[in-house]
Amino acid sequence: MDLSATPTRSKSKPRSTPSKTIAASAAAQMDLSTPSKPTTRRKSKSVSSPPSIAPATPSTVRRSRRLLETPTRRLLETPTKDLVETPAKPAPAPTLKRKRAAPSPKTPIQAEPKRQRRLPKKKAHYRKVVYDGGEFAAGDDVYVKRREGAESDEEEPEEEECRVCFHAGGEVMVECDACLGGFHLRCVRPPLRRVPEGDWACPYCEAERAGRAIERPKQPVGKSIRRTAKEKLLSSDLWAARIESLWREPDGTFWAKVRWYTIPEETAAGRQPHNLRRELYRTNDLADIEMETILRHCYVMSPKEFRDASNEGDDVFYCEYEYDVHWHNFKRLADIDDEPETQEDPSDEPYNAGNDYNSDTDEDSEFEEEDGPAKRCSARKNQSHQFAANSRKGRIYGLQKIGIRKIPEHVRCHQKTDLEKAKATLLLATLPKSLPCRDKEMEEISTFVKDAICNDQCLGRCLYIHGVPGTGKTMSVLAVMRRLRSELDSGALRPYCFIEINGLKLASPENIYKVIYEQLSGHRVGWKKALHYLTEHFSDGTKIGKQTSQPIILLIDELDLLLTRNQSVLYNVLDWPTKPNSNLVVIGIANTMDLPEKLLPRISSRMGIQRLCFGPYNYRQLQEIITSRLKGIDAFEDQAIEFASRKVAAMSGDARRALEICRRAAEFADYRIKQFQQSGQAPSSANRGNGVVCMGDVEDAIQEVFQAPHIQVMKNCPKFGKIILAAMVHELYRSGLGEVLFDKLAATVLSWCHVNRELLPGYDTLLKICCKLGESKIVLCEEGTKHKFQKVQLNYPSDDVTFALKESPDLPWLSKYL
Amino acid sequence: MAAAAAAPVASQAQAVLRKRLCDPAFVHSPLKSSPDTNYSKLKYLVASSVSEACNNSVLLLGPRGCGKGAVLDMVLEDLKKEHPDAISVIRLNGMLHSDDNCAMKDIARQLCLQHELSFSKMASSDDNTEFMIDMLRECGLAHKTVIFILEEFDLFAQGKQRLLYSLLDAMQSLTSQAVVIGMSCRLDADQLLEKRVRSRFSHRKLLFIPSSLDDIQSLTEHLLMLDQASVLPTNYVTEYNSRLTSIFNHKKFKGILNSLTDADATTSNILRFLFRVVSYMDKESGLLSIDCFTNALSCMQRQPKMDSLQDLSILELYVLVCMNRLEDKEQNSYNFNTIMKEYKSIQDAYKTSDKYATTVCFRAFEHLLDRELITFADTKGRNIALEYRPVKLLISSRELAESLKLNTTCPTVLQKLLDRERYM
Repeated sequence: MDLSATPTRSKSKPRSTPSKTIAASAAAQMDLSTPSKPTTRRKSKSVSSPPSIAPATPSTVRRSRRLLETPTRRLLETPTKDLVETPAKPAPAPTLKRKRAAPSPKTPIQAEPKRQRRLPKKKAHYRKVVYDGGEFAAGDDVYVKRREGAESDEEEPEEEECRVCFHAGGEVMVECDACLGGFHLRCVRPPLRRVPEGDWACPYCEAERAGRAIERPKQPVGKSIRRTAKEKLLSSDLWAARIESLWREPDGTFWAKVRWYTIPEETAAGRQPHNLRRELYRTNDLADIEMETILRHCYVMSPKEFRDASNEGDDVFYCEYEYDVHWHNFKRLADIDDEPETQEDPSDEPYNAGNDYNSDTDEDSEFEEEDGPAKRCSARKNQSHQFAANSRKGRIYGLQKIGIRKIPEHVRCHQKTDLEKAKATLLLATLPKSLPCRDKEMEEISTFVKDAICNDQCLGRCLYIHGVPGTGKTMSVLAVMRRLRSELDSGALRPYCFIEINGLKLASPENIYKVIYEQLSGHRVGWKKALHYLTEHFSDGTKIGKQTSQPIILLIDELDLLLTRNQSVLYNVLDWPTKPNSNLVVIGIANTMDLPEKLLPRISSRMGIQRLCFGPYNYRQLQEIITSRLKGIDAFEDQAIEFASRKVAAMSGDARRALEICRRAAEFADYRIKQFQQSGQAPSSANRGNGVVCMGDVEDAIQEVFQAPHIQVMKNCPKFGKIILAAMVHELYRSGLGEVLFDKLAATVLSWCHVNRELLPGYDTLLKICCKLGESKIVLCEEGTKHKFQKVQLNYPSDDVTFALKESPDLPWLSKYL
Repeated sequence: MAAAAAAPVASQAQAVLRKRLCDPAFVHSPLKSSPDTNYSKLKYLVASSVSEACNNSVLLLGPRGCGKGAVLDMVLEDLKKEHPDAISVIRLNGMLHSDDNCAMKDIARQLCLQHELSFSKMASSDDNTEFMIDMLRECGLAHKTVIFILEEFDLFAQGKQRLLYSLLDAMQSLTSQAVVIGMSCRLDADQLLEKRVRSRFSHRKLLFIPSSLDDIQSLTEHLLMLDQASVLPTNYVTEYNSRLTSIFNHKKFKGILNSLTDADATTSNILRFLFRVVSYMDKESGLLSIDCFTNALSCMQRQPKMDSLQDLSILELYVLVCMNRLEDKEQNSYNFNTIMKEYKSIQDAYKTSDKYATTVCFRAFEHLLDRELITFADTKGRNIALEYRPVKLLISSRELAESLKLNTTCPTVLQKLLDRERYM
């Protein structure tokens, strides 16, 4: 019924832009309430929940009323505004566009230039608004109330009542993790002394879980329980939203663009068994609301904050996933703290992008927009046809489709053991909180960068960083840049622009110009043109894009990959900093120490003498790196870590290798323990099974990494293969030459077989075996079409072969030839 | 009447057995029970990266035919059942995608296909790389694991290794969920990687080796024994099984398996052998006998060069013997004319009835060239006439002597010629 209602309503005012957006948002919100599953669930819950909540009318009905009434209200409102001030009519829509088009509100918009020019004067954006006694800023989470209906306007109780004595306040209360009811410590039977650690369920919930019938205390007659905002939200009488931006309309009303949160019941998948009681999903659905409807603050937290929050009051919620209202799927929220640029990333607001696009094309698309979600899906499909997901233009279209219909249970219900935690922190991808052992180098880098950008004239400079792989070169530079970024945010530094390029990820060395130019200007041109513009920019000071004279820090990883035959790319890149007003700082990273010496003299002279060496880690440093990652997790024996780090330090000093070995060892231990659990028997020896990674596991992991598997394969060769290998060793010692002709080899093999009474193999069988050995590169051999002229050579030292074949049980006679 | 009834049973049984032999999942199913097999190790590895949301890279090494691909397919099949839409598999083959750009494009194509996105052929390789990285991030956020399977891994390790670098670097810098599985028969595949790629590779290796004799015997039993619950008649199944057990206990059977595995003990070879065995099944009774195994073994041990020596004409044998004599005389370079001189001298000395004109001999010579029993000594001099180009024998004198012995129509003088110069 909701579905039929909206189009007619919107058709009555089909051409006006504000009605369109409102209808669209209404339709979007309706998506949430249309699925039938949540309704039944909620009903069943209202039976199970304490009877005090029962007087509330079934919420779906109310919600749908709200949906229908909100547009009406706004529709009525907009015309009145029209009367007052005509140009302001399409106000909500342009803001939408503006947000998409460019972050700064001053940018003119292509579509309706006339109105736009006047609008910015009338509309004021704010970062912070004090409204109705509360201070609201962009990024805050708030409760949003429904407009009509008396009860929501009544004063919200800040404090919750005890579910046993039905009095609020007075004493410390504890919250049940199952029904979220509050209890005084003394009201619980048996009374509690302290707030218990970990999860706690009230006696009633525990009884219900155990299947016993238990009567929950009835509330005193005549006193209706006052519901807190949290309860209203969770029974979908309130809404939660996150303020994205705030502004004042020309008529003086305050508006906010908000991103809705939704409760699990309103998603397509419904509440899933592993959902937490206080869990919310962030949606990708945005709407403009009046500030009047905002009630007060609430706090939606990421899992980590939520875990750390202990006493933050009642309005705390947990949010781990984003819910796509159009595709009905879930996605984990990206870690915003780690990569702040994802916020600006267009893919972050994928639907809006499509929305914008639609409204820009033509009138017809408006109809599609207002029809049901199904039709919109198909419309979008047609549209995305032009925008292939992997091409540049269309990359943002389609990626929002990636998501899961339901949050997989194995992710949520899984309690991580110590070993699994250890594995997770040892992952190369997990960014450690601190970077131990590279303080000196980082200090040097940061002084270099600061020197370069703080000087007013900003002399062009160049720093070359070298070191073997896995010694933290890139990571240190990035860490320094992050630190500088935070200094920049606090205003201690001049603004600068940071460009990171990896030489190995460029399709060809010349593409570097293209990438640099694109990062500076946002335009894409061919590399020759880009080179031209860049040279102009750096030598003549011509401006590119909006970047003025900000210093540019260019980080080139894997610098040696930029070498071309005439080394022109490196020359150009390193020549720019020497130009008088280039404002360019180049940091090059590569493995080889003597790269500047290998270059042409004119390039190495431009590279300067400033070099920084990242030496391989020694075992103490490796040990420190590993232990700092494993802090607080008791999964490794101390000797095991030391053993691994000593071994790696002796081989390469590669931190990645050390981490991987430890992770592999943890995997071995985990595998062993899981096998024990499966078979149901207790760990056999105390040493090998007490749930920590011991020396044996590290040993195994090191074996796997460093030991070549050829000896194993040789030991398991077919019989004739072994004889051939032995014959090759024999021939090698006899002739002193590495290569041997197959003809000779076969003759030796056959004579040995003859003497030792083995079955004589055919020539062709031997040839085939030879080719097979050649395929696994145990021997090097020419192709088999050469038949008896095929040249064969051992690929491994003859001692390895002797070692592998010395005691083979099926060929006892072989050892006398070795 | 009994025979008539047995015939369809026989073909039915053959069909059942052949189906089993061609189904890698059935062949490798005994692996599932034991914790020490590569199957359970690989499954643990991939499953833990799916459930614990981490990145991994692993190499499956071992000679061809040891079941690397089959085991991997089984693991993926199982995981797809356990985590229905949390896994997408990207398959690349070093033979097809050795070029980095084309590999990147195919990754993008397969990602688009699996996530129902539209794909553009025109996108540049930079775009495809970016798309892949974006997809990896999005999939990581959506708890989806992307499994990259790189067959013939060693061929990816050529050139700059940009593909491997960008894959492995994306895995260490993003919170994505990806598993890179490389398969190679080169044992030194990880040594081929460039040092910065190798440093990013997580060096898990699983080694697949040919199975031991006991394993092969139990595998044979697993494959050939029929179970009672099948569609076949019960009394037939019991008889068939009892016959098979007696064969397995036969002394000769051990010998057959031994000589089979002496040359090649890989699973694929065993399967090929068993397929032949089933094909030799007695059509009347539908039972296997020890003869089936011996016949199949002789089939497996064919020596193609000996066989082709068997059906040469007498004149062609003469030519080969002449060439052999020339080689024994340490004449390094010889051509058709030299051979003809030798042939003439033999004919003059022994006055055999096999004297043919030079043109006929030339035809025989050409025929031998076609059969690749002899070949030109060098690749240059293509414009020289055929009879003047130097040639050489591709078969050894031992093979030639053996084939002459086996050939019943061969004149004794030929054998003598070969023997004579050997004992002279």
